Amino acid sequence: MRANYVANADDKKILDPYAALWNSAQAETIAMEGTPAAMQPTAAIRASWSDKPIGAVNKVSVKAIHNGKSMAFRLEWDAPRQNDSHGDNTVFPDGAAISFPLKPGASAMGMGTPDLPIGVWKWQADAAEEGKQIYAEGMGTSEVVDRGALKVKSEWKDGRWTVVILRDLQVIQDNAAVQFLTDQDAQFALAVWDGGSNERGGIKAFSGQQWLNLTLAARA
Amino acid sequence: MSKRQLAMVMDLNKCLGCHTCTVACKRLWTRDEAMEYMWWNTVNTMPGKGTPRDWEEMGGGFKDGKPQLGHLPSREEFGDAWKYNHEEVFSGGKAGAHLEIQGKKPEWGPNWDEDQGAGEYPNSYFFYLPRICNHCSSPACVAACPRKAIEKREDGIVVINEDRCRGYRFCMEACPYKKIYFNPDKGVSQKCIFCFPRVEQGVSNACARQCPGRIRFVGYLDDENSAVHKLVKKWKVAVRLHPEYGTKPNVYYVPPTSPMKFDADGHLDEKNPRIPEDYLKFLFGEEGLEAKRIIDKEMATVRNGGKSEILSVLIAYKWSEMFGGFDTDPATIEWTEV
Ligand code: SF4
Ligand code: SF4
Repeated sequence: MRANYVANADDKKILDPYAALWNSAQAETIAMEGTPAAMQPTAAIRASWSDKPIGAVNKVSVKAIHNGKSMAFRLEWDAPRQNDSHGDNTVFPDGAAISFPLKPGASAMGMGTPDLPIGVWKWQADAAEEGKQIYAEGMGTSEVVDRGALKVKSEWKDGRWTVVILRDLQVIQDNAAVQFLTDQDAQFALAVWDGGSNERGGIKAFSGQQWLNLTLAARA
Repeated sequence: MSKRQLAMVMDLNKCLGCHTCTVACKRLWTRDEAMEYMWWNTVNTMPGKGTPRDWEEMGGGFKDGKPQLGHLPSREEFGDAWKYNHEEVFSGGKAGAHLEIQGKKPEWGPNWDEDQGAGEYPNSYFFYLPRICNHCSSPACVAACPRKAIEKREDGIVVINEDRCRGYRFCMEACPYKKIYFNPDKGVSQKCIFCFPRVEQGVSNACARQCPGRIRFVGYLDDENSAVHKLVKKWKVAVRLHPEYGTKPNVYYVPPTSPMKFDADGHLDEKNPRIPEDYLKFLFGEEGLEAKRIIDKEMATVRNGGKSEILSVLIAYKWSEMFGGFDTDPATIEWTEV
């Protein structure tokens, strides 16, 4: 898919999920699948989830744009229930994540390896305006590297979540975070958690084994 | 596997149900906001549903050696923290104001069935069961955590690393004793830490030191001079609660003895104790019945004028000897608050 260049749009405007500028961005519908129970990191989780459905959200509509300074993704999916808290402790907040290979050859499955790590932009509905930038080199290894670099706006309306996540194209932590260059290709993958179905951690819907391609338009 | 194992023995024949242990723990470790509903130490009247409600039916632990996830207990099942009109009563200036629960009338609490017990008069019975995290040798919580956030220390204490924890609560599902709480403000799971900052200074756990009933013994299981070693390993009068859960707990219990029953004619029925053996077996397994037999025998010896080393240790004539060397007075230590 393509991230168009949008001139004269500041970050604040882009962050509005319903801003008109998003109308002209091309939407791609990404089919999501549940992570296999057999891939879960502990035997207890594998056993407990082997006969339960994983991945309640089966498709996500994604758009991407950049304004020459920032890169923005807009994710939208059906969520009949809005889970924005831990409730009585037996539910989990909804969440979404965009992951990126930090080195060529990193896999879109799992959470990277020490040699081939991945970077993640994560949003969770209990901190609706906060995004966490995460670095991971394997399942269970993820570390939050930055809480400030991401800007996020999210809204639940009419049974749908719309989340915009935005960050500077380039950031200083060059090894621990993804860098974007205009007029170049990038790769990403998606994950979505339906907290009301007890999805959290590795129990989630993800966009599949292959990275999704993203071409950043040149600055006009 | 840890190098050594700290353990606790609780003598259920001596527990008063006074909750000094519970409050000692609360004052030390769970005073922060979002921890109001946490009771790392609980004392429940048995037979009863306990805390969280019906925890013995919630699953988890190991089945045929395989780890299982059980039910994820809710705040309501833990009893939650009831809200009161403290403001109004203490600083409202209104005559006649008295403490009242605010909001919806609770239908459960952390010690809801305290006055219940079981059996029919004159054969009714009950006993108190204090519980903390068991700092298990096969901790189901550790096995379930996908983030390796729970660590078994070299002294055997099981602790949750809050920096690694992401609040996924698989540990809460896995622990068959349901001794883990979730802190929604911090987004992490929390539980009994066996007072490790005290223990590291040679000071015994707060619940044990404060216990007026002198029911709690502390020490290293392999320290042959410690009371816990003698009671668990040498004399085998202290046993595990629900050993079938498969986690190998390191809190051990001296099972409760009980008076004889009255038969239909009002005579003492020497064959049947008031606490049914089936119930003790349900709680402590066959080892529990064996432990009780040993205690009964020792008691008979003393009743007949003999001496019992086991009973002397259990009576705890010398308070400081209960703590396996962890008998430093906390008042002699300079603590830093963090
Ligand atoms: S009692 Fe539960 S929380 Fe404590 S060590 Fe055992 S399994 Fe873990
Ligand atoms: S302080 Fe001791 S006697 Fe009192 S409830 Fe706790 S364990 Fe029982």
